[in-house]
Amino acid sequence: MTVVGYSFEEAWVSLLRSGRSALVSIGTIAIAFATLGGFLLLSVNVQHVLDQWLQAAEMSVYLHEDATDAERAEVEQFLKSHPAVAGVEYVSRERALERFSADFPELRDVTSGVGENPFPSAIEVRLKTGAGSDAAADALSREVSAHAGVSDVRYDRRWLQRLMGIVTTARLAGGLVAAILMLGAAFTVAAVVRLSLYARRDELEIMKLVGAPFSYIRGPAIVEGLLLGGIGAALALIAISILYSAGVRYLGSDLAGFVGLGQLHFLGALEIAMVLLGGVAVGAAAGTIASRAVR
Amino acid sequence: MIETQSLSKTYGRGEYALQNLNLKVDKGEFAFLTGPSGAGKSTLLRLLLLEERPSEGEVIVGGRNLSTLDRDEVQAYRRTVGFVFQDFKLIPTKTIFENVAFVLRVLGQPIEQQRRATYQALKWVGLQHRLNALPEELSGGEQQRVAIARALVNDPHLVLADEPTGNLDPDLSLEIMNLFRDMNARGTTVLVATHDRDLIKWVGRRVIQLEQGQLVGSGEPTP
Repeated sequence: MTVVGYSFEEAWVSLLRSGRSALVSIGTIAIAFATLGGFLLLSVNVQHVLDQWLQAAEMSVYLHEDATDAERAEVEQFLKSHPAVAGVEYVSRERALERFSADFPELRDVTSGVGENPFPSAIEVRLKTGAGSDAAADALSREVSAHAGVSDVRYDRRWLQRLMGIVTTARLAGGLVAAILMLGAAFTVAAVVRLSLYARRDELEIMKLVGAPFSYIRGPAIVEGLLLGGIGAALALIAISILYSAGVRYLGSDLAGFVGLGQLHFLGALEIAMVLLGGVAVGAAAGTIASRAVR
Repeated sequence: MIETQSLSKTYGRGEYALQNLNLKVDKGEFAFLTGPSGAGKSTLLRLLLLEERPSEGEVIVGGRNLSTLDRDEVQAYRRTVGFVFQDFKLIPTKTIFENVAFVLRVLGQPIEQQRRATYQALKWVGLQHRLNALPEELSGGEQQRVAIARALVNDPHLVLADEPTGNLDPDLSLEIMNLFRDMNARGTTVLVATHDRDLIKWVGRRVIQLEQGQLVGSGEPTP
């Protein structure tokens, strides 16, 4: 039997023998990785929302109610010839109202209650993306504001980028919390593995005396940590998927509709691999550290 | 096979467990290590098993100076040495077959070879009918026979035994000594630490006498 087979067999027996302490260890790993997985799930969905918003993010150039056709044509011409602009579309007041009614049918009464069409006419500008596009868009925003007939310029991407900055910071904070929890989980795994080593101390002493290679002596401890971590991470994924299913069933359509997302997304293959391999790696590292006690 | 040169071992505040010990045990020899409690018998065996390192001097086994061995070489050296202790040192959660096969298993030997060699070793000590028993189900003498089977299953060049009959009655002690004699007849060097003078006389092999960590005599047992 190879050292790997031997280590897995002995580690499994040791795990079953550890009983409650192994369950505590698996539980702490599961909590740590459920936290990490939760952040990843949130992150995946926030990223989808931001991507959609970013794709839809345009510059809107609103026109005065009394802007003339000549002023509008001049503004349009200016925009079309500007290097930062990919395309323009004129949206009349009537078209803006139609769009709003189509997008938010439940609010149709509000607009009809106002009486007069509250929407201004606007020119929607699709901007080119790439390096320097933000600076060019800023310059364009300033220049077009100065044109006659322009009442206001809204540039969505600027606040979206601020939002992305906040989301990135939140992700880092989430990662930090998950890392602290993982560290705690690693200590618990190491403690459980150490207890197992203590329970097997006679066996380990005999192994040393018969000249067993250190890979055989320490291998089961490392694999035990690896199994604790892997099982904990797998349980975390199961817990997240149950929460996700419940979320989709009870909140899914409302939440997805509220943020403009077609549907909520579960973790992708990469995120699932991150959680599972993370659990295995944290467990194996804790097992390795604990196994160093055998000299 | 075994040679010590000016070997000393101190503990605590420099108290000598062994002091300037020079002795030789030839290849294929059967020798007793004897002396009162605290004479240094167990210390010498621990040094030979590299459970401890000498404070001064050298231990040479099979031509190799043990103080030069690194961690992995120590393990490789131990694979060539069998050991038997007074308290048997069997793993209580494993059957006697597993206790003996364990040595071959952790050395990575193929399963068939493990089974064959383990069965032969247990048959040699007369326990082939108790393969699936746990150590606690065996008598002291049977447990020591399992320990002897484990010591020789790997076909070692040297077998070390520390008071192997200390927990056994005289009849069982003779039985165990017969096993050591048989082992020695097959060419294995055997060094047995004991303070049982009757046993030494009965077996009738060279005696290395220690007192307060020093060699005080070496030769055939006195009648």
